[in-house]
Amino acid sequence: MGKKITVDPVTRIEGHLRVDVEVDGGRVSNAWSSGQMFRGIETILLGRDPREAWLFTQRFCGVCTTVHAIASVRAVENALQLEVPLNAQFIRNLIMGAHAMHDHIVHFYHLSALDWVDVVSALKADPAKASALAESLSPWPHNNTLQLKAVQNKVKAFVEGGQLGIFTNGYWGHPAMKLPPEVNLLAVAHYLEALEYQRKVNRIVAILGSKTPNIQNLAVGGVANAINLDNQATLNMNKLFEIKDILDEMMAFIEQVYLVDVCAVGALYKDWLPYGAGVKNYLAVPDFPLDTKGTKFDLPGGTIFNGDLGSVKPITSFNDPYFRDNVTENVEHAWYEGKATKHPYEGETKPKYGEFDPAGKYSWVKAPRFQGKVMQVGPLAQVLVGFAQGHELTKKWATKALETAGKVAGAQLSPAILHSTLGRHVARMVRTAMICEITLKHWGLFVENLKKGDTTIFNEPKFPSGTVKGFGFHEAPRGVLSHWVVIENGKIANYQAVVPSTWNAGPRDEKSQPGPYEASLVGNPIADPEKPLEVLRTIHSFDPCIACAIHTLDVEGKELAKVKAL
Amino acid sequence: MEKTVRVLGLGNVLMGDDAFGPWVIEFLSAGWTFPGEVSVVDVGTPGLDLVPYLSGASHVVIVDTVRSDGNPGELRLYRKAEVLKVPPQPRLSPHDPGVKETLLMLDFAGTGPEEVLLVGAIPGSSAMGVGLTPALQAAVAPAAAEVLRELERLGCPAAPRAGAIPAAPWWEAPASPVVH
Repeated sequence: MGKKITVDPVTRIEGHLRVDVEVDGGRVSNAWSSGQMFRGIETILLGRDPREAWLFTQRFCGVCTTVHAIASVRAVENALQLEVPLNAQFIRNLIMGAHAMHDHIVHFYHLSALDWVDVVSALKADPAKASALAESLSPWPHNNTLQLKAVQNKVKAFVEGGQLGIFTNGYWGHPAMKLPPEVNLLAVAHYLEALEYQRKVNRIVAILGSKTPNIQNLAVGGVANAINLDNQATLNMNKLFEIKDILDEMMAFIEQVYLVDVCAVGALYKDWLPYGAGVKNYLAVPDFPLDTKGTKFDLPGGTIFNGDLGSVKPITSFNDPYFRDNVTENVEHAWYEGKATKHPYEGETKPKYGEFDPAGKYSWVKAPRFQGKVMQVGPLAQVLVGFAQGHELTKKWATKALETAGKVAGAQLSPAILHSTLGRHVARMVRTAMICEITLKHWGLFVENLKKGDTTIFNEPKFPSGTVKGFGFHEAPRGVLSHWVVIENGKIANYQAVVPSTWNAGPRDEKSQPGPYEASLVGNPIADPEKPLEVLRTIHSFDPCIACAIHTLDVEGKELAKVKAL
Repeated sequence: MEKTVRVLGLGNVLMGDDAFGPWVIEFLSAGWTFPGEVSVVDVGTPGLDLVPYLSGASHVVIVDTVRSDGNPGELRLYRKAEVLKVPPQPRLSPHDPGVKETLLMLDFAGTGPEEVLLVGAIPGSSAMGVGLTPALQAAVAPAAAEVLRELERLGCPAAPRAGAIPAAPWWEAPASPVVH
């Protein structure tokens, strides 16, 4: 029996995830992922008007606001088989695209880069050497010696002022930190620039959603954006061009900075490429619809089993029974009544809390399955199902990423390296680049449609008497999100949200198959059990966002350290 | 820097007393109008997505629940230095709205607010469900008064709305039958 480490909780934002690992001979031999907060927010929706459900679901999580709003209106529209006007699809797509870019950039630079980047080491860097290295990989204009020197001075001032709390992860000088000082300096410089770009792209959500972070412009059946290209008070040409300018700037940042940084980190940590694959069944749903019915998309979806790209099977529409009929959730190892496996339409939320028992129930998260199989969701799933289907945009950006990383590593890298902890970061960047291109394309399609004189934004929903059921999916930043609604006489009779982090962070099921987090940790090296940086690396690579937690602010700092090695 | 003031309510409106921050925002918006340089926003629970709301503002007033010794509904006021005094927890901190981290990050970048006032209330129950406990409901008006006092001090006072109607947050509206 090896040493046991509990990391509680593991996310930096939104919630409460506990990870327990067993370490044997310096490697993880077994792992358990546990959601520590009851998540039954769906019950608040029972009896409500389906047209207002999205306002509530948007509040499930403070980081994933818009995605729950989009999935909710799609579920109700699906129940009514209601078409969505083209303009409304494009406006939603622009919001989704901007939100996704924002989310992915924050995740890499501000939430997970510090697992790989040692900020203090940047003080030892030679700015001229750092500049030369950066300029050999990217035309980005802000990588010059002068600007990098200024960043280094900022770090110095912060260290001398004792203010480095911002970068506190307790892991400086950790033996698993391997980047040269120059690369650390570049990463810090881009961390600062990324702050500016995440703010910039958020502006698109504000223009179209009228408010952020909780948008106001959605409606079952379309959107509520008045459009008049010449009116200052509505969505007009000025505002549309502001959006276009921001998207152009984002494209440059993603291609010249984000892509290069992820590839450099991946290449310089190539010893890590064999770790973290875990579950190689992948699920993604299609998104960025191009028509009113949701049958044509710019981002492909589908399934892959056992890592075999040849097994890819597409999901092709908002009505596709291949998705609708194959999703279940099991509660054998989750703190709910019974051991049942249920389809989301029949899903129940009957809590039964007990002790953390790895052999029995140990998580508030249910175990979602597709045809009974554990699936990994998220950008990696999306990139692999796209790649397997020959999706041009996926191939273009994945190839560019592998080439750039290969140049830094001095080796040829194949797509097989993507099944890994680092691969999830690369895939997230590939997805960001694709989404920026798609969002630009949809901006063009939207403007073209408006020029034709079409200003329709809404089809009115009509609720029949009796029971109707619908599901709505969205390929959210963290992966497949689906909302399932049962409507009786115009009121919500059941509502279930199967969220991306449920797919990835869920516990074992009735067949004792471990969830993706659990499987991905097995085999990871652990240099120092008191500082399990490697566990954080793999878990953070999924971009966890687990509960929709309460957020009491702890100014006085009474929290205790949460890593326990027994 | 030109004066830009942001009043931000933090919290999850579906989690009992955690809705305190958004409730105070609803209360303020229903009863007062604000000068152009002041924006009053319910930001929910954005974690590090606070960046766009804190950057570029000269002054920020945050309303949130806080962990402190005392009874539910008691208010605690903190200034920026106090918020930053205890460094953020090593990257494992739970339920952290990211206020400290965001402020430090923006100070590092040079775009952080000069002054911050945090108006915090000690929560009673933050279980899933809508509605504040009585102690927190009673603290809404005093917390709003602190916000109004701060705006006055900053030279951009709010004006009471004529014929104001009481705040009625949308999330507390009961589920009702649908009329076809």
